[in-house]
Amino acid sequence: MRKPDFDRIGRRLLRAGIASRTAKRVVRELEEHYDDIVAAGVSDGLPQERAMRLAADALGDMDEFVVAMQSQPELRSWAFRYPRLARVAYPLACLVLLPAYPVMAGMAHAPQIARWGLCLMIAGLVTVSIFAGLRLAILFG
Amino acid sequence: MAKTNPPFMSGVPELLLLRLLDQREMYGYELVRSIREATGEAISLGEGVIYPVLHSLERNGALKSRRKPVGGRTRVYYSLTARGRRRLNELSDEWRRIQSGVTSALENPAHAKA
Repeated sequence: MRKPDFDRIGRRLLRAGIASRTAKRVVRELEEHYDDIVAAGVSDGLPQERAMRLAADALGDMDEFVVAMQSQPELRSWAFRYPRLARVAYPLACLVLLPAYPVMAGMAHAPQIARWGLCLMIAGLVTVSIFAGLRLAILFG
Repeated sequence: MAKTNPPFMSGVPELLLLRLLDQREMYGYELVRSIREATGEAISLGEGVIYPVLHSLERNGALKSRRKPVGGRTRVYYSLTARGRRRLNELSDEWRRIQSGVTSALENPAHAKA
């Protein structure tokens, strides 16, 4: 008997519109609960295999669990609770964030950008001084 | 053990969880065992079913939770808030009212029909 696929249950909860933080936490609690039942079974003298089967049965039908989570509106993400608002808010947020992204990226990498800028300026000055020296050499040479 | 008939169970897990958490903070597995003991094993639920109720109560401010390390593992402990205590009182009153109505109808069906 294998351990139930808790990651899959988490993905099902997300698809059902449960808020990501809630889905992660509830799946973790469910897994801990399963481990507790298995540990109790084993300490009562059951073989590991039998304790795992008992734990999976005790947790109940996972379809019912997903439906029970879905039936609590306050556990759903706001985009699922207010789909019309989400349809307006997401494109608006993209519209604001897309032009701002290069600026934000620039601010996040400011020291590297400053170093590159300084190097380019020094390279430019060196190039200009070489050309100026050559030009003067031609004029007065 | 056979699971309890779901149509009879509406609101019962919420009431039981609030009542048990009124005594002390507990984590999920501990709560399920306490429900079984407190009800003389009359109520048996799919154990996963308590988590949607716990999370919903927490979201509504009736419960608060904290992670607590116990025996090398961390567990989420739930406890009752002031709002949860008010909710428990409301649900208890409602439950007693329904229970007395149903008991009265079972003991005196003629009266119930009238």
